[in-house]
Amino acid sequence: MPRRSKTPAEAVEHYRGRTVRLLSCVTSVHVVARAYHLSDTPHELELADTAKMHGGPLSIDVAEEYEVRQDADGWRVAILGYLYAIGYEGRELVSYHWHPSGHSPITWPHMHVAANVQVGDRWLGKVHLPTGPVGLERVVALAITELGAKPLRDDWERLIREAAAR
Amino acid sequence: MATRTDNEIRELSPEEWDQRVDEQARKRLGMSGEEFERRLNAGEIDIDDSPDVTRVAMMLPLHATQK
Repeated sequence: MPRRSKTPAEAVEHYRGRTVRLLSCVTSVHVVARAYHLSDTPHELELADTAKMHGGPLSIDVAEEYEVRQDADGWRVAILGYLYAIGYEGRELVSYHWHPSGHSPITWPHMHVAANVQVGDRWLGKVHLPTGPVGLERVVALAITELGAKPLRDDWERLIREAAAR
Repeated sequence: MATRTDNEIRELSPEEWDQRVDEQARKRLGMSGEEFERRLNAGEIDIDDSPDVTRVAMMLPLHATQK
């Protein structure tokens, strides 16, 4: 059941808390956010820098854009765009993007893979592979369960479950 | 393994955020934040040109990259 809040500030507080808890599963790098003001929209939140993950040459980078919306049940944060990237040995391995505004014709969620394969006159790494919306919790789970990142906290599975259920 | 505390959030003022955009644009792309935003909005730079371009573009407020 998505969490609803009584005020916009409370919704932002919940969202930021969830995000930093998820990131603290794999990195201790701090998060930076544009100061929240009710009149400002949208807002940005991101890791301060590409962060090495514990347990190997993996890294993670995260940026999200969001806005606060009101519905019948209260206030909630909606993600308007994101960049989630996992690197390996200093190079991007896979990235999930959604940047629906701007000049790119690719307005739907997509991913890039660092595949050195030529498809006609294009490189697979430049191809926008369609996805549905991807949550940060799925990327953190991917890093830990499939790519070998070592979790930094022992409640990481619970945090991922809770984030996925929001 | 002990459960760690949550990561820190540093909240930046709009001016500090603009400064961060400029720093990241210079570090990742070798140009100022202002030049990057101008070239992105002029269509000279595609948001998917490189991972670094996408990363810096994501720092710009959405209204700055509207069509």
